[in-house]
Amino acid sequence: MSDCTSLDPLITPYVDGDIDAASRLRVDDHVRRCPPCQSRVAAERAVRELMRARRSDICSDAASAALRARCLALRAAAPGGAAELPSFWRSRIKPLAVAASVVLVAGGIFVYEATDRSTRVLAAELTADHVKCFGVVNTLLGTNPDAAVIEGAMAKTFGWAMHVPESSQGGLELVGARPCLYGKGKAAHLMYRHHGQPLSVFMLPQLARPGKTEERIDIMGHEAAVWSEGGRTFVLIAREPEAEVARAVTIVQAALR
Amino acid sequence: MTTFETDALASLDSLYRTALRLTHRSADAEDLVQDTYLKAFRAAGQFKAGTNLRAWLFTILHNTARNRARDRARDHVDIDSDAVERAADSNPDGQRAGATPESLLMRDTLAPELQAAIDALPIAFREAVWLRDVEEFSYAEIAEMLQVPAGTVMSRISRGRRILFDRLHHLRPAHV
Repeated sequence: MSDCTSLDPLITPYVDGDIDAASRLRVDDHVRRCPPCQSRVAAERAVRELMRARRSDICSDAASAALRARCLALRAAAPGGAAELPSFWRSRIKPLAVAASVVLVAGGIFVYEATDRSTRVLAAELTADHVKCFGVVNTLLGTNPDAAVIEGAMAKTFGWAMHVPESSQGGLELVGARPCLYGKGKAAHLMYRHHGQPLSVFMLPQLARPGKTEERIDIMGHEAAVWSEGGRTFVLIAREPEAEVARAVTIVQAALR
Repeated sequence: MTTFETDALASLDSLYRTALRLTHRSADAEDLVQDTYLKAFRAAGQFKAGTNLRAWLFTILHNTARNRARDRARDHVDIDSDAVERAADSNPDGQRAGATPESLLMRDTLAPELQAAIDALPIAFREAVWLRDVEEFSYAEIAEMLQVPAGTVMSRISRGRRILFDRLHHLRPAHV
Protein backbone atom coordinates (compact mmCIF):
# COMPACT_ATOMS: atom_id res chain seq x y z
CA MET A 1 0.00 0.00 0.00
CA SER A 2 2.88 2.32 0.67
CA ASP A 3 3.85 1.82 -2.97
CA CYS A 4 0.37 2.96 -4.01
CA THR A 5 0.72 6.08 -1.91
CA SER A 6 4.15 6.99 -3.14
CA LEU A 7 3.30 6.26 -6.77
CA ASP A 8 -0.08 7.97 -6.63
CA PRO A 9 1.16 11.30 -8.05
CA LEU A 10 2.71 9.46 -10.99
CA ILE A 11 -0.40 7.63 -12.17
CA THR A 12 -1.98 10.47 -14.12
CA PRO A 13 1.26 11.54 -15.82
CA TYR A 14 1.76 7.85 -16.59
CA VAL A 15 -1.64 7.66 -18.27
CA ASP A 16 -0.90 10.87 -20.16
CA GLY A 17 2.54 9.63 -21.22
CA ASP A 18 3.97 12.72 -19.58
CA ILE A 19 6.58 10.96 -17.44
CA ASP A 20 10.29 10.13 -17.56
CA ALA A 21 11.42 6.64 -18.51
CA ALA A 22 12.58 5.58 -15.04
CA SER A 23 9.30 6.55 -13.40
CA ARG A 24 7.35 4.85 -16.15
CA LEU A 25 9.13 1.58 -15.43
CA ARG A 26 8.38 1.90 -11.72
CA VAL A 27 4.68 2.44 -12.40
CA ASP A 28 4.62 -0.36 -15.00
CA ASP A 29 6.08 -2.72 -12.47
CA HIS A 30 3.73 -1.69 -9.67
CA VAL A 31 0.56 -1.70 -11.77
CA ARG A 32 1.21 -5.25 -12.90
CA ARG A 33 1.12 -6.41 -9.29
CA CYS A 34 -1.59 -4.09 -7.93
CA PRO A 35 -5.19 -4.60 -9.17
CA PRO A 36 -6.60 -1.37 -7.66
CA CYS A 37 -3.95 0.74 -9.35
CA GLN A 38 -4.44 -1.24 -12.53
CA SER A 39 -8.16 -0.40 -12.41
CA ARG A 40 -7.39 3.21 -11.87
CA VAL A 41 -5.05 3.33 -14.83
CA ALA A 42 -7.62 1.56 -17.00
CA ALA A 43 -10.40 3.93 -15.94
CA GLU A 44 -8.35 7.07 -16.49
CA ARG A 45 -7.07 5.80 -19.80
CA ALA A 46 -10.55 4.84 -20.98
CA VAL A 47 -11.91 8.31 -20.26
CA ARG A 48 -8.90 10.00 -21.78
CA GLU A 49 -9.27 7.98 -24.97
CA LEU A 50 -13.01 8.51 -25.01
CA MET A 51 -12.63 12.29 -24.73
CA ARG A 52 -10.17 12.31 -27.58
CA ALA A 53 -12.31 10.03 -29.71
CA ARG A 54 -15.40 12.19 -29.22
CA ARG A 55 -13.67 15.52 -29.26
CA SER A 56 -15.07 16.76 -32.52
CA ASP A 57 -18.60 15.93 -31.33
CA ILE A 58 -18.33 17.54 -27.92
CA CYS A 59 -16.67 20.56 -29.51
CA SER A 60 -19.55 21.26 -31.86
CA ASP A 61 -20.59 24.42 -30.00
CA ALA A 62 -19.25 27.39 -31.89
CA ALA A 63 -19.30 31.06 -31.06
CA SER A 64 -22.21 32.83 -32.73
CA ALA A 65 -21.66 35.34 -35.51
CA ALA A 66 -22.94 38.04 -33.18
CA LEU A 67 -20.40 37.19 -30.50
CA ARG A 68 -17.65 37.16 -33.12
CA ALA A 69 -18.72 40.58 -34.30
CA ARG A 70 -18.77 41.95 -30.78
CA CYS A 71 -15.31 40.59 -29.98
CA LEU A 72 -14.04 41.99 -33.26
CA ALA A 73 -15.42 45.38 -32.28
CA LEU A 74 -13.56 45.20 -28.97
CA ARG A 75 -10.28 45.55 -30.82
CA ALA A 76 -10.95 49.27 -30.56
CA ALA A 77 -10.17 48.89 -26.88
CA ALA A 78 -6.74 47.53 -27.69
CA PRO A 79 -3.63 49.64 -27.31
CA GLY A 80 -3.03 51.60 -24.15
CA GLY A 81 -6.69 51.78 -23.28
CA ALA A 82 -7.84 54.23 -20.67
CA ALA A 83 -9.43 53.37 -17.38
CA GLU A 84 -11.27 50.12 -16.94
CA LEU A 85 -14.85 50.01 -18.07
CA PRO A 86 -17.04 49.33 -15.06
CA SER A 87 -17.87 45.67 -15.20
CA PHE A 88 -21.41 46.43 -14.11
CA TRP A 89 -22.32 47.35 -17.66
CA ARG A 90 -22.51 43.82 -18.82
CA SER A 91 -24.84 42.76 -16.07
CA ARG A 92 -26.90 45.93 -16.00
CA ILE A 93 -27.86 46.20 -19.63
CA LYS A 94 -30.76 43.80 -19.68
CA PRO A 95 -32.67 45.69 -16.97
CA LEU A 96 -32.09 48.84 -19.03
CA ALA A 97 -33.75 47.21 -22.00
CA VAL A 98 -36.66 46.20 -19.79
CA ALA A 99 -36.98 49.75 -18.58
CA ALA A 100 -36.95 50.98 -22.17
CA SER A 101 -39.92 48.83 -23.08
CA VAL A 102 -41.75 50.30 -20.11
CA VAL A 103 -41.13 53.75 -21.51
CA LEU A 104 -42.61 52.72 -24.83
CA VAL A 105 -45.76 51.55 -23.13
CA ALA A 106 -46.13 54.34 -20.61
CA GLY A 107 -44.75 57.31 -22.51
CA GLY A 108 -46.87 59.60 -24.61
CA ILE A 109 -46.39 60.23 -28.30
CA PHE A 110 -43.03 61.71 -28.87
CA VAL A 111 -42.62 64.33 -31.50
CA TYR A 112 -39.26 65.58 -32.49
CA GLU A 113 -37.83 67.53 -35.37
CA ALA A 114 -35.20 65.64 -37.28
CA THR A 115 -32.48 68.11 -37.95
CA ASP A 116 -28.78 68.25 -37.22
CA ARG A 117 -29.49 70.95 -34.77
CA SER A 118 -32.14 68.97 -32.96
CA THR A 119 -29.87 66.19 -31.76
CA ARG A 120 -27.68 68.80 -30.21
CA VAL A 121 -30.68 70.38 -28.57
CA LEU A 122 -31.77 66.98 -27.32
CA ALA A 123 -28.33 66.37 -25.85
CA ALA A 124 -28.29 69.80 -24.23
CA GLU A 125 -31.71 69.37 -22.69
CA LEU A 126 -30.95 65.94 -21.38
CA THR A 127 -27.60 67.09 -20.04
CA ALA A 128 -29.50 69.76 -18.14
CA ASP A 129 -31.81 67.03 -16.84
CA HIS A 130 -28.79 64.96 -15.94
CA VAL A 131 -27.37 67.76 -13.82
CA LYS A 132 -30.75 68.74 -12.40
CA CYS A 133 -31.83 65.22 -11.49
CA PHE A 134 -28.59 64.55 -9.68
CA GLY A 135 -29.08 67.77 -7.75
CA VAL A 136 -32.62 66.77 -6.76
CA VAL A 137 -31.52 63.32 -5.79
CA ASN A 138 -28.72 64.68 -3.67
CA THR A 139 -31.02 66.92 -1.70
CA LEU A 140 -34.04 64.71 -1.42
CA LEU A 141 -32.93 61.15 -1.49
CA GLY A 142 -29.27 61.04 -0.56
CA THR A 143 -27.22 58.42 -2.31
CA ASN A 144 -27.29 54.68 -2.58
CA PRO A 145 -30.99 54.17 -2.00
CA ASP A 146 -32.65 50.81 -2.03
CA ALA A 147 -33.72 49.71 -5.51
CA ALA A 148 -37.05 48.55 -4.10
CA VAL A 149 -37.69 52.02 -2.66
CA ILE A 150 -37.08 53.59 -6.06
CA GLU A 151 -39.30 51.04 -7.75
CA GLY A 152 -42.04 51.81 -5.24
CA ALA A 153 -41.69 55.55 -5.81
CA MET A 154 -41.84 55.14 -9.58
CA ALA A 155 -44.98 53.03 -9.33
CA LYS A 156 -46.68 55.31 -6.85
CA THR A 157 -45.86 58.61 -8.48
CA PHE A 158 -46.06 57.74 -12.16
CA GLY A 159 -47.77 54.40 -12.31
CA TRP A 160 -44.71 52.84 -13.89
CA ALA A 161 -43.85 49.29 -12.99
CA MET A 162 -40.14 49.29 -13.61
CA HIS A 163 -37.27 47.05 -12.71
CA VAL A 164 -34.36 49.05 -11.34
CA PRO A 165 -30.89 47.50 -11.34
CA GLU A 166 -29.25 47.51 -7.96
CA SER A 167 -25.89 48.93 -6.99
CA SER A 168 -22.94 46.82 -7.91
CA GLN A 169 -19.78 46.29 -5.98
CA GLY A 170 -17.70 47.32 -8.98
CA GLY A 171 -17.39 50.96 -8.00
CA LEU A 172 -20.86 51.83 -9.20
CA GLU A 173 -23.78 53.01 -7.16
CA LEU A 174 -27.35 53.22 -8.25
CA VAL A 175 -28.43 56.72 -7.32
CA GLY A 176 -31.92 56.86 -8.63
CA ALA A 177 -34.27 56.34 -11.51
CA ARG A 178 -37.06 58.65 -12.54
CA PRO A 179 -39.24 59.40 -15.47
CA CYS A 180 -38.32 62.83 -16.79
CA LEU A 181 -40.86 64.78 -18.75
CA TYR A 182 -39.48 65.50 -22.14
CA GLY A 183 -41.10 67.06 -25.15
CA LYS A 184 -44.58 65.65 -25.31
CA GLY A 185 -43.64 62.40 -23.67
CA LYS A 186 -41.51 60.93 -20.97
CA ALA A 187 -38.02 59.63 -20.84
CA ALA A 188 -36.76 57.05 -18.37
CA HIS A 189 -33.70 58.30 -16.59
CA LEU A 190 -31.39 55.90 -14.79
CA MET A 191 -28.81 57.60 -12.63
CA TYR A 192 -25.57 56.03 -11.53
CA ARG A 193 -22.44 57.16 -9.81
CA HIS A 194 -19.26 55.70 -11.15
CA HIS A 195 -16.34 56.29 -8.77
CA GLY A 196 -18.23 59.32 -7.58
CA GLN A 197 -18.97 60.70 -11.06
CA PRO A 198 -22.60 60.99 -12.15
CA LEU A 199 -23.52 58.97 -15.22
CA SER A 200 -26.96 58.90 -16.84
CA VAL A 201 -28.67 56.69 -19.36
CA PHE A 202 -31.86 58.12 -20.87
CA MET A 203 -34.20 55.97 -22.86
CA LEU A 204 -36.80 57.45 -25.16
CA PRO A 205 -39.17 56.23 -27.81
CA GLN A 206 -37.28 56.30 -31.09
CA LEU A 207 -36.63 59.74 -32.47
CA ALA A 208 -36.61 60.37 -36.18
CA ARG A 209 -32.91 60.66 -36.91
CA PRO A 210 -32.60 59.69 -40.57
CA GLY A 211 -29.19 58.48 -41.69
CA LYS A 212 -27.73 58.87 -38.25
CA THR A 213 -26.04 55.90 -36.68
CA GLU A 214 -24.40 57.34 -33.63
CA GLU A 215 -23.54 60.85 -32.64
CA ARG A 216 -21.10 62.02 -30.06
CA ILE A 217 -21.71 65.48 -28.69
CA ASP A 218 -19.50 67.51 -26.46
CA ILE A 219 -21.94 69.62 -24.56
CA MET A 220 -21.82 71.76 -21.46
CA GLY A 221 -18.65 70.10 -20.26
CA HIS A 222 -20.23 66.69 -20.67
CA GLU A 223 -19.84 63.96 -23.23
CA ALA A 224 -23.13 62.72 -24.69
CA ALA A 225 -23.64 59.77 -26.99
CA VAL A 226 -26.89 59.46 -28.91
CA TRP A 227 -27.98 56.46 -30.90
CA SER A 228 -31.15 54.70 -31.99
CA GLU A 229 -31.73 51.03 -31.94
CA GLY A 230 -34.62 48.61 -31.74
CA GLY A 231 -37.23 51.36 -31.91
CA ARG A 232 -35.64 53.34 -29.10
CA THR A 233 -33.27 56.22 -28.77
CA PHE A 234 -30.59 56.10 -26.11
CA VAL A 235 -28.62 58.97 -24.69
CA LEU A 236 -25.68 58.29 -22.40
CA ILE A 237 -24.25 61.28 -20.58
CA ALA A 238 -21.26 61.56 -18.31
CA ARG A 239 -18.58 64.00 -17.42
CA GLU A 240 -15.91 61.51 -18.28
CA PRO A 241 -13.14 61.30 -20.86
CA GLU A 242 -14.33 60.63 -24.39
CA ALA A 243 -12.55 57.27 -24.50
CA GLU A 244 -14.38 56.14 -21.38
CA VAL A 245 -17.75 57.17 -22.76
CA ALA A 246 -16.95 55.57 -26.11
CA ARG A 247 -16.15 52.31 -24.43
CA ALA A 248 -19.32 52.39 -22.36
CA VAL A 249 -21.38 53.06 -25.47
CA THR A 250 -19.75 50.18 -27.36
CA ILE A 251 -20.60 47.75 -24.62
CA VAL A 252 -24.12 49.06 -24.13
CA GLN A 253 -24.86 48.79 -27.84
CA ALA A 254 -23.35 45.34 -28.10
CA ALA A 255 -25.31 44.09 -25.13
CA LEU A 256 -28.58 45.49 -26.43
CA ARG A 257 -28.27 43.72 -29.75
CA MET B 1 -5.89 43.91 -37.93
CA THR B 2 -2.61 43.09 -36.22
CA THR B 3 -1.24 39.56 -36.05
CA PHE B 4 -1.88 39.58 -32.33
CA GLU B 5 -5.55 40.34 -32.82
CA THR B 6 -5.97 37.81 -35.62
CA ASP B 7 -4.27 35.11 -33.58
CA ALA B 8 -6.28 35.97 -30.50
CA LEU B 9 -9.58 35.80 -32.35
CA ALA B 10 -8.62 32.39 -33.75
CA SER B 11 -9.22 31.00 -30.26
CA LEU B 12 -12.77 32.35 -30.10
CA ASP B 13 -14.57 29.04 -30.59
CA SER B 14 -12.52 27.11 -28.07
CA LEU B 15 -12.77 29.93 -25.51
CA TYR B 16 -16.52 29.98 -26.00
CA ARG B 17 -16.84 26.22 -25.58
CA THR B 18 -14.76 26.32 -22.44
CA ALA B 19 -16.80 29.23 -21.10
CA LEU B 20 -19.92 27.22 -21.83
CA ARG B 21 -18.58 24.33 -19.77
CA LEU B 22 -17.90 26.77 -16.92
CA THR B 23 -21.19 28.63 -16.96
CA HIS B 24 -23.65 26.17 -18.54
CA ARG B 25 -25.49 29.12 -20.13
CA SER B 26 -24.77 30.53 -23.54
CA ALA B 27 -25.57 34.11 -22.52
CA ASP B 28 -23.16 33.91 -19.58
CA ALA B 29 -20.55 32.20 -21.73
CA GLU B 30 -20.77 34.93 -24.37
CA ASP B 31 -20.46 37.55 -21.69
CA LEU B 32 -17.40 35.87 -20.27
CA VAL B 33 -15.73 35.55 -23.65
CA GLN B 34 -16.44 39.17 -24.50
CA ASP B 35 -14.93 40.26 -21.22
CA THR B 36 -11.91 38.06 -21.88
CA TYR B 37 -11.24 39.73 -25.23
CA LEU B 38 -11.75 43.17 -23.81
CA LYS B 39 -9.10 42.47 -21.19
CA ALA B 40 -6.80 40.71 -23.62
CA PHE B 41 -6.86 43.53 -26.15
CA ARG B 42 -6.33 46.08 -23.47
CA ALA B 43 -3.45 44.12 -21.95
CA ALA B 44 -1.93 43.23 -25.33
CA GLY B 45 1.27 44.99 -24.36
CA GLN B 46 1.78 42.60 -21.45
CA PHE B 47 1.71 39.53 -23.64
CA LYS B 48 5.20 38.15 -24.16
CA ALA B 49 5.70 37.39 -27.83
CA GLY B 50 6.79 33.83 -28.42
CA THR B 51 4.83 32.44 -25.48
CA ASN B 52 1.57 30.59 -25.88
CA LEU B 53 -1.13 33.12 -26.76
CA ARG B 54 -3.90 30.56 -26.49
CA ALA B 55 -2.85 29.58 -22.95
CA TRP B 56 -2.64 33.27 -22.06
CA LEU B 57 -6.21 33.85 -23.24
CA PHE B 58 -7.44 30.84 -21.31
CA THR B 59 -5.74 32.19 -18.20
CA ILE B 60 -7.59 35.48 -18.62
CA LEU B 61 -10.85 33.60 -19.16
CA HIS B 62 -10.46 31.63 -15.95
CA ASN B 63 -9.31 34.63 -13.94
CA THR B 64 -12.34 36.54 -15.15
CA ALA B 65 -14.67 33.70 -14.29
CA ARG B 66 -13.15 33.43 -10.82
CA ASN B 67 -13.44 37.15 -10.15
CA ARG B 68 -17.03 37.17 -11.24
CA ALA B 69 -17.94 34.31 -9.00
CA ARG B 70 -16.27 36.15 -6.15
CA ASP B 71 -17.99 39.45 -6.97
CA ARG B 72 -21.37 37.86 -7.05
CA ALA B 73 -20.56 36.23 -3.71
CA ARG B 74 -22.76 33.39 -4.71
CA ASP B 75 -22.88 30.06 -3.01
CA HIS B 76 -19.97 28.87 -4.89
CA VAL B 77 -17.62 26.10 -4.02
CA ASP B 78 -14.19 27.31 -3.11
CA ILE B 79 -12.24 25.30 -5.58
CA ASP B 80 -9.15 25.38 -3.41
CA SER B 81 -10.90 23.89 -0.43
CA ASP B 82 -10.32 20.42 0.86
CA ALA B 83 -14.04 19.81 0.63
CA VAL B 84 -13.86 19.57 -3.13
CA GLU B 85 -11.00 17.16 -2.99
CA ARG B 86 -12.82 15.03 -0.44
CA ALA B 87 -15.98 14.99 -2.52
CA ALA B 88 -14.26 12.82 -5.07
CA ASP B 89 -13.09 10.38 -2.45
CA SER B 90 -16.67 9.52 -1.71
CA ASN B 91 -16.75 8.06 -5.20
CA PRO B 92 -14.43 5.14 -4.82
CA ASP B 93 -13.42 3.49 -8.04
CA GLY B 94 -11.50 0.30 -7.56
CA GLN B 95 -13.28 -3.00 -7.60
CA ARG B 96 -15.82 -2.15 -10.28
CA ALA B 97 -13.64 -0.12 -12.52
CA GLY B 98 -11.43 -2.91 -13.72
CA ALA B 99 -14.43 -4.95 -14.74
CA THR B 100 -15.18 -2.81 -17.79
CA PRO B 101 -12.68 -2.96 -20.57
CA GLU B 102 -11.96 0.47 -21.91
CA SER B 103 -12.86 -0.67 -25.38
CA LEU B 104 -16.47 -1.13 -24.24
CA LEU B 105 -16.67 2.34 -22.78
CA MET B 106 -15.16 3.72 -25.93
CA ARG B 107 -17.55 1.92 -28.18
CA ASP B 108 -20.73 2.46 -26.19
CA THR B 109 -20.58 6.02 -24.95
CA LEU B 110 -22.17 8.55 -27.23
CA ALA B 111 -21.15 12.17 -27.37
CA PRO B 112 -24.34 13.53 -25.73
CA GLU B 113 -23.89 11.17 -22.76
CA LEU B 114 -20.29 12.17 -22.43
CA GLN B 115 -21.20 15.83 -22.67
CA ALA B 116 -23.86 15.49 -19.98
CA ALA B 117 -21.48 13.62 -17.69
CA ILE B 118 -18.81 16.31 -18.13
CA ASP B 119 -21.32 19.06 -17.38
CA ALA B 120 -22.40 17.23 -14.22
CA LEU B 121 -18.87 17.14 -12.79
CA PRO B 122 -18.07 19.48 -9.91
CA ILE B 123 -16.48 22.53 -11.50
CA ALA B 124 -12.97 21.96 -10.13
CA PHE B 125 -12.77 18.58 -11.84
CA ARG B 126 -14.69 19.66 -14.91
CA GLU B 127 -12.33 22.48 -15.80
CA ALA B 128 -9.19 20.40 -15.14
CA VAL B 129 -10.34 17.45 -17.25
CA TRP B 130 -11.64 19.69 -20.01
CA LEU B 131 -8.45 21.73 -20.27
CA ARG B 132 -6.34 18.60 -20.36
CA ASP B 133 -8.30 16.13 -22.47
CA VAL B 134 -10.13 18.44 -24.83
CA GLU B 135 -8.03 21.58 -25.05
CA GLU B 136 -4.81 19.62 -24.47
CA PHE B 137 -2.97 22.07 -22.28
CA SER B 138 0.03 20.99 -20.21
CA TYR B 139 -0.21 20.54 -16.44
CA ALA B 140 1.87 23.68 -15.98
CA GLU B 141 -0.38 25.74 -18.25
CA ILE B 142 -3.50 24.53 -16.47
CA ALA B 143 -1.91 25.26 -13.09
CA GLU B 144 -1.36 28.84 -14.24
CA MET B 145 -4.95 29.17 -15.44
CA LEU B 146 -6.53 27.72 -12.33
CA GLN B 147 -4.04 29.26 -9.90
CA VAL B 148 -3.30 25.97 -8.17
CA PRO B 149 -0.13 23.86 -7.94
CA ALA B 150 0.59 21.40 -10.77
CA GLY B 151 0.16 18.50 -8.33
CA THR B 152 -3.38 19.64 -7.59
CA VAL B 153 -4.08 19.87 -11.32
CA MET B 154 -3.02 16.26 -11.77
CA SER B 155 -5.10 15.00 -8.89
CA ARG B 156 -8.15 16.87 -10.16
CA ILE B 157 -7.70 15.44 -13.64
CA SER B 158 -7.35 12.00 -12.14
CA ARG B 159 -10.41 12.28 -9.93
CA GLY B 160 -12.47 13.93 -12.61
CA ARG B 161 -11.70 11.13 -15.03
CA ARG B 162 -12.56 8.48 -12.46
CA ILE B 163 -15.89 10.12 -11.64
CA LEU B 164 -16.65 10.25 -15.35
CA PHE B 165 -15.69 6.64 -15.74
CA ASP B 166 -17.97 5.58 -12.90
CA ARG B 167 -20.92 7.52 -14.22
CA LEU B 168 -20.54 6.42 -17.81
CA HIS B 169 -19.89 2.88 -16.77
CA HIS B 170 -23.15 2.82 -14.85
CA LEU B 171 -25.05 4.03 -17.88
CA ARG B 172 -24.22 0.80 -19.67
CA PRO B 173 -27.11 -1.63 -19.06
CA ALA B 174 -24.90 -4.61 -19.80
CA HIS B 175 -22.66 -3.79 -16.85
CA VAL B 176 -25.16 -2.76 -14.17
